[in-house]
Order: sequence, then structure tokens, then C-alpha cells
Amino acid sequence: MATICNVSEEKALEIKKLQFTYASADEPSLKEISMPIAKNSITALIGPSGCGKSTLLRSINRMHDLYPGNKYEGEIIYNGRNILDAKEDLIDLRINIGMIFQKPTAFPMSIMDNVAYGLKLQGIKNKTELKDRVEKALTDAAIWKEVKDRLKHDANGLSGGQQQRLCIARAIAVEPEILLFDEPTSALDPISTQGIEELVTELKEKVSIVIVTHNMQQAARVSDYTGFMYLGELIELGKTEELFVTPAERLTEEYITGKFG
Amino acid sequence: MTATQKRVFINRIVMALSTLSAGIGLFFLFWILYILVSNGVEAINWDIFLFEGAPPGYEESGLKQALVGQLIIVGIATLVGVPLGILAGTYLSEYGQKSKLAETIRDISDIMMSAPSIVVGSFVYAIMVVPMGHFSAWAGIVALTIIMLPIILRTTDDMLHLVPTTLREAAFALGAPKYKVITQVVYRGAKAGILTGILLGVARVAGETAPLLFTSFNDNFMSTDLMEPMASLTVTMYNYATSPYEDWQRLGWAAAFILSMFILTLNILGRLVLLTKKGK
Amino acid sequence: MTKIIDNIFANSTRLIAITVLLITAWIFTVLFQESLLSMQTFGLDFVTESKWAPNLEKFGAFAAIMGSVISTFLAMVLAVPVAIGVAIFLSEIAHDKLKAPVGVSIELLAAIPSVIYGMWGLFYFVPIIRDIFGGIGIGMLTAGIVLAIMILPFMAAVTRDAMNTTPDILKESAYALGGTKWDVIRDIVIPYSKAGIIGALILALGRAIGETMAVTFVMGNVHKVSWDLTQPATSIPVTLANEFTEADTDLYFSSLFELALILLVISFTIISVAKFYFLRRKRSV
Repeated sequence: MATICNVSEEKALEIKKLQFTYASADEPSLKEISMPIAKNSITALIGPSGCGKSTLLRSINRMHDLYPGNKYEGEIIYNGRNILDAKEDLIDLRINIGMIFQKPTAFPMSIMDNVAYGLKLQGIKNKTELKDRVEKALTDAAIWKEVKDRLKHDANGLSGGQQQRLCIARAIAVEPEILLFDEPTSALDPISTQGIEELVTELKEKVSIVIVTHNMQQAARVSDYTGFMYLGELIELGKTEELFVTPAERLTEEYITGKFG
Repeated sequence: MTATQKRVFINRIVMALSTLSAGIGLFFLFWILYILVSNGVEAINWDIFLFEGAPPGYEESGLKQALVGQLIIVGIATLVGVPLGILAGTYLSEYGQKSKLAETIRDISDIMMSAPSIVVGSFVYAIMVVPMGHFSAWAGIVALTIIMLPIILRTTDDMLHLVPTTLREAAFALGAPKYKVITQVVYRGAKAGILTGILLGVARVAGETAPLLFTSFNDNFMSTDLMEPMASLTVTMYNYATSPYEDWQRLGWAAAFILSMFILTLNILGRLVLLTKKGK
Repeated sequence: MTKIIDNIFANSTRLIAITVLLITAWIFTVLFQESLLSMQTFGLDFVTESKWAPNLEKFGAFAAIMGSVISTFLAMVLAVPVAIGVAIFLSEIAHDKLKAPVGVSIELLAAIPSVIYGMWGLFYFVPIIRDIFGGIGIGMLTAGIVLAIMILPFMAAVTRDAMNTTPDILKESAYALGGTKWDVIRDIVIPYSKAGIIGALILALGRAIGETMAVTFVMGNVHKVSWDLTQPATSIPVTLANEFTEADTDLYFSSLFELALILLVISFTIISVAKFYFLRRKRSV
């Protein structure tokens, strides 16, 4: 049984006994995970390689459904309904729960078209509205000043750090309620990483954030709550300051002090 | 309809169309296989292998000369083309590597692999058939060898390239000379891939008709004289099928059946070789 | 001693590799030499005149050249949409369990010799065309259709390979924004692999134009250009296949060689364009 601290805020998501098995696997990769995700907060998921943190993240926006044969059990409650249900509208879900990936994934189009992509998918055609929302998203992603004069340029001309901000702008342009970050700075240099961390901290005012990171210090810097996972199980979820200073579980303490992983 | 509903609808249509296309492709495959098998099985009997070609209406007629001829022409072309192709591919991978010469050879080979094979036939006609004064099996063999060379060259080049550099370095570190490193270590490492390349190359060349049309030409009678025209399964098939005689057409289908079974077998073998290697 | 063997080995492999270049150059040279008589006799009229009369020793290749162009164009129009559909199916739609068998089936189709496509076309397709359009069923239309079916597997396989180079993570990013499969294919996969796809199509075009046996059975070899696609026609490879063994004069032969040279130059150019502008060779160095 995991040690879950008291989450006082309203909850953006409630994960209940989530079990996930990959198509070709005999054993589940996620074993009965239950945890709340607090609203307008940053929840970090840490743990050694292979512990299932990315698998858990990708279950929330049902990325696993892209590859046939994967199986979910349990529930993830969002807005009063279980989004693991087979009848869930995945397209609608993904508009409300966005994702940023490990490597910057700028689409082969202009900067403007990149950010507007999600909006266009929803059918927004009005040029003015598109322009305004793109500008807002780029501003919120702290990259507007750098790109405002080259919106028509190919997004691949941007540096790695800039591209990742672009991806963040693209994700927030559709105004999601929840943003999932899958090791967003693992491919970036330290300065860009710092920039992204600042950005994530600002974003939590509008969005609830879950961030997977293999860098403990990043989790300590950035998050409000931290969940420690090991071999597919959630070991402990706690307020970040408390977990890192006085972890409740022995395993957590060993990981944090570098005894393994 | 909302924008998203419209997108989902268009998505369904595209998925259906694309599945339909795949279905069309499979349909043709099954249609062709079906007619090959049904016509071929009907036409095959022991006579095919016992008798040579004869005028239409003759009781005892078969494909013996065509089968033997095909084996000889393709066989010798393979015996010549494969070693040459492997050695040339070895040069590209082990010696030339990224040099301008090597890149040029690769580019030209790539292009020649897709170039019309009937042109090769015309070329060999000019340099062999004309000076010799008559068609000959040798001319056919030369034409097929020219076609086979770039194929074996490229697959050898690619397969040798997959062998890790560390393997070579380990052999050098033990004091082995380059030619031994290549023949004793690198070749072994790429064995399966090269074998697949050979099987697929032979399959490709065995199905060629155009380059044989005016080099080895044809013969209705058994012959193993390489200096004379020689029958081949492909050219015989072409002649018999376009003739107005029913028993010749039937022989044509028998030939088609035998040839395609042979080629499909080589293809499947080639894939199996690679699959069993991956399993290791 | 070892040094000597090493040298011999190295030099012989290089020599054989260079032979490939030499043979290619030799082919061009020989074809050119053999065509000289025809080139000198007819000049540019060779490509503009369609009258091909061996008994009068007048040879105009226009019908053959146009025949190649039209039949190949027809084949491309028919094959390209289906090939792209198959490529999309194999690359984006099929489950893993389907991908392998269907993919292998397509590749086996590509391995079937063209002479068999020709036979199938002659015995099974010609009657159908005859029933629908009248006439004898042999002609440009039949040839175009048989050619389309012949190049379809190759085109589908190479296009699929191009599409498969799109990184998963890029596609996932688009799905994560709520994209459907078609959205992702149209906005991500196709733009990303655009060069490879166009290269694949042009390469297939280069092969189609040199295709002999699939069309020889069903084209008819009549040196006439006609708007009526159900009429017998000819193309360069068809002419070569049918007439090479019948040629009896030097000029006749020379004209055939000039045809072969034209065919070689055209297909060489098309394939080179595909290669150098669109298909960068991928190497895991």
C-alpha cells in the first residue's frame, strides 16, 4: 500500500487502482496505482528507469491506445467520469489533456501553423482569432518576443530549447485543463532547462501539471507534490518539501539518498 | 456538424479507401496466383519433363529443352555474377567506403538496377551476336550477368556494412591482414544477408525475358551447346502463349507455373534466411 | 607473401567494381555507335515522324515514343492513388499482425516476372476489355492497365518505406492534440516524407517506361498514334521486342538501336532525377 499524503486542493484527476499491461507483456507494467492529482499544482513523478512513470503519464491521455493490444484496468476519474472507459471520446479527451514529449517535436510547418494546429483541428478558421490565440500562447510560453518577426518561418530553424517552448505554446493554445510533461528537458542544455522549469512553474496558475522527470533535483525545484514510483507501483506521494526531507517510506529514502537508481 | 465530427467522418472515409486499396492489391495477387495454379496444375504432367518442344498437335511435346536451357543460362550467369558481385560489393564496403569512386559506382549501380533490361539485350546483341554471326547461349548468359551484377553488388555492400566495426578492429588487433579480416570475419558476419541477396538476385534474373529475346533466342530442341541458341523457360513461355495453338498455350501455362513457383520459393527462402538470423 | 595476397585482393575487388562503370559506359557507347546510321539518315525527323515502314526503309519513332509516354502516363494515373492507399494502409492503419502478411504479399506480387503479368493480361484482361469497349481488346488501354498492376506493388512498397521514416514521437505529438489518423497522415507523415514519396513515384515511373514483357502481350505493335485508346498501338520496348529479330537491313537495325538509345537515355534521366533530388540514401554509418 502506498503512503499517500493529504491533498487539500481540489482534484484535477483521481487515479483509482490503475493497472496497465502492454500488449506483448505477461506482467502488468502498472500495478494498482491510486493517487490524486491536485488542481493548479505541479505533481512530479520520480523513480528509477523502468519504474513506469512514463507509462502512467501516457495512460492519462490514453496514448497507449495508438498501439493495439494494450490493456487498462481500474479508473481515472476526470470531470466526474472514468476516462479509461471504452466509450470515451479520445479526441475530445486529448484537447483537454495535453502532452509535451521528451524531444522537441516541431511539426514540419511554419511556427504560426505549428501553434495554430490544435486550433485548426477544432475548426477555428477566423484568421484574427487564430492570430490572437497564437500570440497569447507564444507569450504565455515566454517565446513571443523571439519569434514574432518570423512566424512564417519553418519551425525547424529554432534551437532545441526554443522548439520545446514552441511545443508548449502549441499545447496551451487549445487551453487544456491538464498538461502532461514527459521528461521535457532531458534533451536540452542546462540554460534551456532552467527556462522551461520557470515556464512550467508559471503555467500552473492556469493548468494542472503532471511532470515525469528522471532528475530528482528538478522535481524538488519545481513541484508541489511528488510521487515516487518503483517497479510499477506507487510507493509514496507527498508534499514535495516533506517527501524530500522526511520521506515516509524506506524505499523512497534510499532512492533519494542515491542508494540505487 | 462540428469541425471535429467532420474530421472523424473524413478520417473514416480515408481509412476505408485505403483499406480498399490494400484489398485491391491483394485481389490481384490472389487472382494471378489462382490462374497460375489452376492453369498450371492442369497443364503439368510428366511429359513436360520428358519431352522437348514439338510442332503443335504432336503427342509427345514438353518443356525439357526450356527447363534445361533456363537452368544452364541462369545457372552459369549466377556462377559468374555472384562472385563478381560479391567482390565488387566488398570493394565498396571495405576499401572504397565513402570515396568519390565508390559513391559513383553505387549511384550507377542503383540506376542500372532499374534500367530497362531490353536495352541490355540490344547491347549484347551488338557486341556478341553480330560478331559471332548467330544467337548463342553465351550471349544470354552475358546479358543476365550484366543485369545481376549491380543487384548483388548493392546487397553485398549493404550487408557487409551492417557488420560492426568493432568486429573488424578485433581481428586487426590480433594481427590479421586485411584480406583475412574480410574473408574470415566480415563475410561470416554478413553470411545470412549475402545469402538472401543472392537468392533474391537470382529470383529477379530468372524471371527476365526481354534480354534473352535476341541473345540466346530460342530453340525447340534439346541442346547444351553454349555456342548455339538455347531455349529458356521465359522466352518459350512468351512464344507459346502468344501462339494460336491450344496445346502450345497449355505448355506456356505449365512453364509459367513452374517459373513462378521457383521464383516465389526463392523469395520466401530469402526471407526465411533473414528471419532465422534475426532470431539468433 | 601476405602483403602480396592483400594487394591482389584489394586490387581485384577494385577492378571488378570499376567494371560496373565501364560496362555502363560501354552500353551507351555501343548503342550510340549503332544508332549513328539512323541518326545520320533521319536526323530529328526520327522523333517527329510516325511513319514506320521497314519495307520502304523509312523509320519514324514518334508512334513508339508517344506510345511509351501515353501507356506509362495511363499506368501512373491508375497506379499512384492505389499505391498511396496501400502504403498508408501498411504504414499507418494495419495492426502489427496484418502488417507482415499484407506487406509480404505486396512484395511477392512485385517478384512475379513481368512475362506472367503479360500472359495474365492477354488471356484474362483482353476479353474483358473486348466485352466492354469492343474492338479486339488489344491496345493502349489494356497495356496501361496491365502496366499499372505491374508497377503497383513496387510503388506501394517504396512509398510505404518512405512513410515509415516518420518518427513516432512526431506522430504522437499530433495525436496528443486530438488529431485523427488522417489528420496525422495529411499534416505530419506526408509532409515529413514528401521527398521520399515523390522519389518513390518517379522511380516507379522510370521502371514503368522500360517495361517490356507485361505490355508486349497486349499492346499490338502498330505504329500509329490514336486518340482511341482501344486501338492497338506500340511503345519503344514493344517495338524492340517484336522487331529486333525481324530486322534485315542495316538501316532497320540502326533505327532499332536508336530507339533503344532513346529509351535508355529517358529512363536513365528519370531514375537519376528520382535518386538525386528525392531519395537520399540512408546509411547507418
